[in-house]
Amino acid sequence: MSGHLARAGGSLAATTGFLPARASSVAAEVDWVFGFVFWVSLFFLGLIVGLTLLFVVRYRRRPGRLEPEDSPSHDTRLELLWTLVPLALLMVLFGLSTRTWLRMVRGDGAGGTPLEVRVTARRWSWWFDHPGGRGAPELHVVANRQAELVLSSVDVIHSLWVPEFRLKQDAVPGRFIRMSFTPTVAGSYPILCTEYCGTDHSRMLSRVVVHPDQAGFDAWAREGAAPAASLVEHGKRVFAQRGCVACHSLDGTRRLGPTVKGLWRRRERLADGTEIVVDDEYLRESLVKPGAKVVAGFPNVMPPLVLEERDLQGLGAYLQSLSERP
Amino acid sequence: MTTAAAQLPAPERPVPSYLEHGRGIRSWLFTLDHKRIGVMYLLAIGAALLLGGLFAMVLRLHLWTPEGALVSNDAYNKLFTLHGAVMIFLFIIPGIPAALGNFVVPLQLGARDLAFPRVNLLSFWLYVVGAALFVVTLVAGGIDTGWTLYPPYSLEEARGLGLLVALAAVFVAGFSSILTGLNFIATIHKMRPPGMGWFGLPLFLWALYATGIIQVISTPVLGITAAMGFLDRLFHLGLFMPEYGGDPVLFQHFFWFYSHPAVYIMILPAMGVVSEVVSVFSRKPIFGYRFIALSSIAIAVIGFLVWGHHMFVSGQSRVASLVFSFLTLLVAIPSAIKVFNWLATMYRGAIVLKTPMVYVLTFFAIFGVGGLTGVFLGALATDVPLHDTYFVVAHFHFVMVGAVMTAFLAGLHYWWPKMTGRMYSERTGLVSAALVFVGFNLTFVPQFLAGVAGMPRRYATYAPGLVVHNRLSTVGAFVLALGLGLALAGLLASLRRGRRAPANPWGASSLEWAAPSPPPHDNFATTPRAPRPYDYAGLRFVSEEEGWVREGTP
Ligand code: HEC
Ligand SMILES: [Cu+2]
Ligand SMILES: [Cu+2]
Repeated sequence: MSGHLARAGGSLAATTGFLPARASSVAAEVDWVFGFVFWVSLFFLGLIVGLTLLFVVRYRRRPGRLEPEDSPSHDTRLELLWTLVPLALLMVLFGLSTRTWLRMVRGDGAGGTPLEVRVTARRWSWWFDHPGGRGAPELHVVANRQAELVLSSVDVIHSLWVPEFRLKQDAVPGRFIRMSFTPTVAGSYPILCTEYCGTDHSRMLSRVVVHPDQAGFDAWAREGAAPAASLVEHGKRVFAQRGCVACHSLDGTRRLGPTVKGLWRRRERLADGTEIVVDDEYLRESLVKPGAKVVAGFPNVMPPLVLEERDLQGLGAYLQSLSERP
Repeated sequence: MTTAAAQLPAPERPVPSYLEHGRGIRSWLFTLDHKRIGVMYLLAIGAALLLGGLFAMVLRLHLWTPEGALVSNDAYNKLFTLHGAVMIFLFIIPGIPAALGNFVVPLQLGARDLAFPRVNLLSFWLYVVGAALFVVTLVAGGIDTGWTLYPPYSLEEARGLGLLVALAAVFVAGFSSILTGLNFIATIHKMRPPGMGWFGLPLFLWALYATGIIQVISTPVLGITAAMGFLDRLFHLGLFMPEYGGDPVLFQHFFWFYSHPAVYIMILPAMGVVSEVVSVFSRKPIFGYRFIALSSIAIAVIGFLVWGHHMFVSGQSRVASLVFSFLTLLVAIPSAIKVFNWLATMYRGAIVLKTPMVYVLTFFAIFGVGGLTGVFLGALATDVPLHDTYFVVAHFHFVMVGAVMTAFLAGLHYWWPKMTGRMYSERTGLVSAALVFVGFNLTFVPQFLAGVAGMPRRYATYAPGLVVHNRLSTVGAFVLALGLGLALAGLLASLRRGRRAPANPWGASSLEWAAPSPPPHDNFATTPRAPRPYDYAGLRFVSEEEGWVREGTP
């Protein structure tokens, strides 16, 4: 499974090695604050290093200069000066940074009602449920219309970062956390996970596609959202979209997980030695709590899934149908 | 009194030094002598540094190629976890206070030992047990949670037994730290010699006093958090695990309530060393004693109230983020005061460029970068894009490795003659200081750039566009290792070949230099009277001894 993620990621997380492009309404402002801190810091660093070097050269102990010159052992006014000047600068910075940050977290309401996307993080992939019913492993939004993400996670903490947007937000299991932004430049940008989440943390990559206009988005959203004719059809689609095939073959070949060919009513030996027959109950448990009953001879790596009730039913119906066909 | 030294015959010591007082391994392992305990700590943290450094080199080699050159992702994850845990809990936190502090504190007070010698020994042994538990974790297959141990990841069953052992290790090592802090606080309160008021303390002691406060107040929270995690994992109490109704973000609050102040447990003693060295090697009293002393306390106090700056994107409330950002920016002020006062100490001094001072000069630059890049992370708008990237990695390595380890090396060279009775080779010391500085910057400056360009931390693989940053960093790590190796070799060589050290080779004024090098078991025959702090006026260089003596002492 890491294989196909890696391939997806390799092409996505292209970076030039410098500051990423600016593609959201707050990016320029964030960079401005960054520049402010950078130049002020550079000034102080120059001051510290410069004075250090100057003093070492001028006041080095050497023949003819064995003793220090007379100088005061303290000077309250001077000391207050280098207390208050940094203090003032830091307070200015606090004001500037906070103003920008409030804009970052509040969103600017551009383009009418925000485009609300529900985001589900799991080891090691993202899932985005867009308005209109289309879900996808990549995020789709519209340029100059505010997007509002509702983040959640099914397993551990992950964090969604789009460097070009200058925005980042953790996805915490058991919570929904909102994140707003307005993309400004159409195109496609990498999404990276920035909260350590295990083996393939560094390959938990996806991308965000910014459509130039609403029409583009709508066309894309319609494409994949045709209502399934039947539960089996729905399950088939879920099976394909959720990447189950990466681990479960349809034709009997062995991949990371057992093949689903002939799964229904199959006798399965479990890792703890017991034997079961695959039925509805077992299927459901395999999907929601895969670690509970592990098939003998396979690693316990199947990710727990967030599935709507309908998806669960669809999958059950579909997997059953596979065994009924000749 | 020009004849004072001449009257003294060659350094023939009637009393054996602490090194000769008692023989055999037991006389070391169960000693109550603060000096021997200090030396044992030194050996122990040296071993921890080697181990943690070894992990670091494997990590850097692995990152030579974007897809990872050496190990699997899982192995990489374990390596960075152990690198962090060993370096933080076993090297850098006990580093200056427990190793150098143990040796120096009673001597600077003209005392025979710490207030509670037995507690001191207990603290050492707790450290050893904690370290041993970490080794058990390692043998049991390691842990891959990151040293931050964030649940739910850390408390999943899949993490295995290793995680429980690691929590126990943190718990035990924490008690070691608490007891050391307590001991220093009591000692500094109760055992100051006649003539030494609070503002007569050497600034190293002010720093350790402030450190002690942090250790005693914050470390128990770490212990409690580890215990809660332990129970949550075993009995599913639902404290941190959302699965059972717990809150993983609560863990982050607890964890950083300790782990941010822990940064000051590391840096305050380092600042104490710098204050000593910069004054002695400028041959001038420290500038603005009171501001430096009180800024240590200010850092300790404000440092307790800034932990939330690690959680700006965790989903904590906006009000909390605002308050934490404000306080975080404030805590930069006392550090700024110290830096300027140190520079003012050098102004018009007579600066001696010996190894400890050269390390301190590099400390100024490195701590400058480390502190100033902290401002980027304290300000909300800039923290959001930089959080959990290599910018953060570079920032805290500048503070923890760059600044603290540099100060540790400065202190180690400074007190080495006192500890061992031997002078190290100045030339080796200077070359190693230069190598450490160059190697350090080569390692970590590119990481700032990688972070800004978009490299998250804890990535076993990375985007091909960042290969140059990573390779520079790897090369730098080897230069740094070379520098450290050379420093170690120079110090060890001095044990055999070094010139015998006089009591006061640097012309320092604090009391440890009034005792012989190395000091006898009881430190001082009679309790000495404390000189005014940083008063160099009465010291004279005596060439026969190649050291300094105070006018008026026989
Ligand atoms: C990372 C690879 C992976 C992915 C992706 C994955 N699975 Fe699995 N799955 C496994 C493994 C390995 C097992 C066997 C071990 C176990 O029972 O947990 C398994 C077991 C199962 C079983 C029980 C099979 C049996 O023979 O008893 C079912 C049903 C199942 N998976 C369905 C799914 C569905 C549906 C999806 C997509 C929504 C999915 N899996 C995605 C790896 C995966
Ligand atoms: Cu991750
Ligand atoms: Cu912090």
